[in-house]
Amino acid sequence: MGPWGFVSLAYGIVWGTLVVYLIFLKRRYSRATVELDQLRPMGEAGGDEKK
Amino acid sequence: MIRQSRKRKGILGALALVTVLFSLYWSLVVAPPDAYQGEVQRIMYLHLPSILIAYLSYFLVFIGSGLYLWKREKRDDLLAHAAAELGVLFTALTIIEGSVWGRPTWGVWWTWDARLTLTAILLLIYVGYLMLRSLIEDENRAAMAAAVLGIIGFLDIPLIHMSVYWWRTLHQPPSILRPDKLPWENVHPSMLTALTISFVAFLLLYFYLLSLRYRVGEMHQEVIARRLERGA
Amino acid sequence: MTLLRQTGLMLWKDTLLELRRRESLLTMFFFGTLLLFVFNFAFDLAPDKIAGMAPGLLWLAFLFTGTLGLAQLFQAERENHNLDALLLSPLDGGALFLAKAAFNLILMVLVEIVVIPLFWILFNLPAWNLLPQIFLVTLLGTVGFCVLGTLMSAITLRARARELLLPLVLFPLMIPVILATIRCMAEVLRTGQFGDQVAWLRLLLGFDVIFLTAGVLIFDWVIES
Repeated sequence: MGPWGFVSLAYGIVWGTLVVYLIFLKRRYSRATVELDQLRPMGEAGGDEKK
Repeated sequence: MIRQSRKRKGILGALALVTVLFSLYWSLVVAPPDAYQGEVQRIMYLHLPSILIAYLSYFLVFIGSGLYLWKREKRDDLLAHAAAELGVLFTALTIIEGSVWGRPTWGVWWTWDARLTLTAILLLIYVGYLMLRSLIEDENRAAMAAAVLGIIGFLDIPLIHMSVYWWRTLHQPPSILRPDKLPWENVHPSMLTALTISFVAFLLLYFYLLSLRYRVGEMHQEVIARRLERGA
Repeated sequence: MTLLRQTGLMLWKDTLLELRRRESLLTMFFFGTLLLFVFNFAFDLAPDKIAGMAPGLLWLAFLFTGTLGLAQLFQAERENHNLDALLLSPLDGGALFLAKAAFNLILMVLVEIVVIPLFWILFNLPAWNLLPQIFLVTLLGTVGFCVLGTLMSAITLRARARELLLPLVLFPLMIPVILATIRCMAEVLRTGQFGDQVAWLRLLLGFDVIFLTAGVLIFDWVIES
């Protein structure tokens, strides 16, 4: 494996992992948002103040 | 209010993306290859920022843990947890980068030199932290236990540094190669620029990820709280 | 009631319990000895190699034996909600910490007093006159182990898979102690004195002091978890 091969390996793994992590994180984010919204309208009188 | 912080996160994310692309360009194209190591040296533009970000993360775990023990505010615990997760991520990446850099440079995928060993130990400590959190059922107890570990772990880091470095320098037979010195001679200014840009890119990306991860933790907490309210 | 008195009382209680049932001490002792036997089969312990491997093997044995002791450390408190009772009493967390750490230290020292000479005999190690220095290093290392171990034992108290989690969180943190004790012992076996490795002793001492202090300060929060 030539030098650029190693460079691509390193950069590929790093940015690949970061992108995958970001995707998973965003998925957790949207799932949690949905869950939260579902629990909100019931029994809560209007204006839910968030800090 | 939520929209504002989401918008801010979006801006941060966009900024991070731009900087990352810019740093990739600079690291891979603009910066010259190293006089001794050639192109492989470009991995340093990943490696140094990664490990620095990891240390920053663990420092945040320490701060969050300390604040939580002191004030018991949930948000400090959320910070510690988020920072620990990201810390593990970046530490793992550092190790992989170090390994891939090592192969063409010293001929081996792994060596027990001070830096790699230290990074591996760091990984073990904070993986332990995450496991501790996941294995304790009660959220509050888990937060408390984790906070203590977060503080103790961080206090141990200087001691671990010292012992591993001594281990590697006081007992080295002269024939063994010592691949734990960075060739810092002839650092081209372009390289320093590449390094700085890379670091900024990682930093922005880190804070973007941290804000997302923190919010996920926060929402998780709220979901639990609301479920409790309804007796679910 | 002062810190020292509280510590003394709890230590006395644990000692009495142990004297009556003797479960911890005996299991630890036999386990440590068993490990030595296993090492004999696992490694090529020819006389010329053994001196180099001795510190490492000894410390491996102590680490695993000590972990056994740590796992049992809060056993009495786990049963019958004793821990909650302790929390309600005006007890200083620091005192509980010192008492538990001291108790584990006593157990380990008792085991070491027997195992180290046994090790010497079984593997025909020379230089009996070096044993005092060996004991000193072992003691300092054991203190570090007990201090950090008690903390970790307490925080993992309510975790699932506790027997696996305890070594998992403890061992990486113990690395300074492991390195320091083994390096010191190796030097003593090689040259008969500490020489330039004496810095390791200072590291050990520093380690012990730092985590002893941290433990005393932090333990109130630990038992709440």
